[in-house]
Amino acid sequence: MRGLLVASLLAVACRPPADRPSAPPPPPAHRIVSLAPSSTELLFALGAGSQVVGRTTWCRYPPAALQVPDVGDGLNPNIEAIAARQPDLVVLYRSQLNETAAGQLARLGIPSVTLAQDRLEDIARAARELGRLTGRQAAGDSIGAAMEGLLRTPPPAPIKRVAFVVWDNPPMVIGGGSYLDQLATLAGGANVFHDLGAASATVSIETIVARNPDVILVLSDSTAPPAYSGRREWRAIRAVRERRFIMLPADLFGRPSPSAPAAVAALRRALEAEGPSRQ
Amino acid sequence: MSRWLGLIALVAVALIGAVVLGPAHIALRDLASSDIVRSLRVPRALLALLVGGSLGVAGASLQALVRNPLADPFLLGLSGGAGLGAVLAIALHVAGPWALPLAAFAGALGAMALVYRLGLVGGAELDPRVLLLAGVAVGAFTGAITTAIVSLAEAADLRNAFLWLWGGLSGASWDTVLVMVVYIPVPLIVLYATARPLDLLALGEEPATHLGADVEPLKRRVYVAASMLTAAAVAVSGVIGFVGLIVPHITRLVWGHRHRSLLPAAFLGGGALLLFADTAARVTVAPRELPVGIVTALVGVPLFAVLLRRWTGGGARG
Repeated sequence: MRGLLVASLLAVACRPPADRPSAPPPPPAHRIVSLAPSSTELLFALGAGSQVVGRTTWCRYPPAALQVPDVGDGLNPNIEAIAARQPDLVVLYRSQLNETAAGQLARLGIPSVTLAQDRLEDIARAARELGRLTGRQAAGDSIGAAMEGLLRTPPPAPIKRVAFVVWDNPPMVIGGGSYLDQLATLAGGANVFHDLGAASATVSIETIVARNPDVILVLSDSTAPPAYSGRREWRAIRAVRERRFIMLPADLFGRPSPSAPAAVAALRRALEAEGPSRQ
Repeated sequence: MSRWLGLIALVAVALIGAVVLGPAHIALRDLASSDIVRSLRVPRALLALLVGGSLGVAGASLQALVRNPLADPFLLGLSGGAGLGAVLAIALHVAGPWALPLAAFAGALGAMALVYRLGLVGGAELDPRVLLLAGVAVGAFTGAITTAIVSLAEAADLRNAFLWLWGGLSGASWDTVLVMVVYIPVPLIVLYATARPLDLLALGEEPATHLGADVEPLKRRVYVAASMLTAAAVAVSGVIGFVGLIVPHITRLVWGHRHRSLLPAAFLGGGALLLFADTAARVTVAPRELPVGIVTALVGVPLFAVLLRRWTGGGARG
């Protein structure tokens, strides 16, 4: 019991408190390895794409990023592959594994920055920080201001009740503590699982039936309805029976992104295009 | 007789609880007319009964076959095979609502065939010790291939194959109940028919042979039938641990070692345990849901520990 307490205290103590403190502006980084799809996209959006010399397997947006050498999946960073790119800056996503990686990089004399990229406010902060580190402060401030502006916009009155179903067995939905929930709110979609604090959670089909969303939002590049829509137990959900699915393409919705305003607008249009519910 | 009535009452209570309780509030008088009850809760409860029962019977039979109290339906490599099947189905983009269950079923049967072949010593005799080792080896090997595919392939969906494998009873529907109702009677009857020779086999192969049991075909029949039950269970509900390990031991404490009563008791006991565990998984953290395998461990292991201590007279000393 005591061991457990100590372990949880340690976990709290070891959790990175916030993004790394901002040191005085260093000379702009010219060889950047980006280890998260959202930071790769952000670097290209800042106009620093030509300074990126390494990316993860998952960094596929914008398409120009595919020209950059792949240094692995980035979940448990391959330090050797990163060092081989001789970076002067490594951009890490904030996670426990990456804290270890940041330490290993520091021992090799490679500077790194660890950025949370989970919500809209994180993008604003990351844009300003990466702008500063790449010598593109103005671009960073402008993206940061755009994100903060979006956050300040009072959300419109909800026009549809939505649920993000990201996996069917076990059924997993997106909760309130997430970027997608923020996008939905700004687009006039009330996430029926907003009360779940976690970014995603396992629920039962019964709970989805009871919460009765008007539309189910699916992260998918395909236009076909998800495979589970043909299964009998899923047809207990009204939105599944009425085949009310909105497909969200990965390029626009797949990760926290500076194109959040475009994503909000696209989702708003899709929600408005859904006719009134039959019931 | 009262033991049986008690067990049947337990199953009835578990079934009623599973139908009445759930994350959505449904008044008692609306139960019969509710779509949630009819198309979600009732099939899920029946599936829990059938899967838990199958795992209980498979575990009891395998423990007699390999004469090892640690034997569990998933010890013989079936969960590894099922996982590999599911991951391959996703990696090769096999589409369709039944793709994953079928692929997992095929994977489990493939693992079963491989373990069986490895367990045949000298091409004829099924050696339970070799069978156990082969099961662990095949399980580890398929697990390694699965992990390699998941870490090398580029589909984010693949990670979800693991979720699916531990998914529990979320996929329950009248379709899965129907599949199980049609499928499991055959292996169950095969196992029940071997109840008497299984009693002898539990004594050891040599005594069993002397007492007139035809040991080699018996071992094969038990192995194949128990694996068929497990493969079906994994296809409809993923890997659910502890039921097949603990329930046979608990029922053995109450019903003794005669398989003619042990096997039916293990079916009902396994069904009841999984029903209680699944209800708890759905209700305790609602609207979220716990993985049912965690609940079977949380409920089953302390129950098992209490019985074990009582059985050994308050803890064996010396």
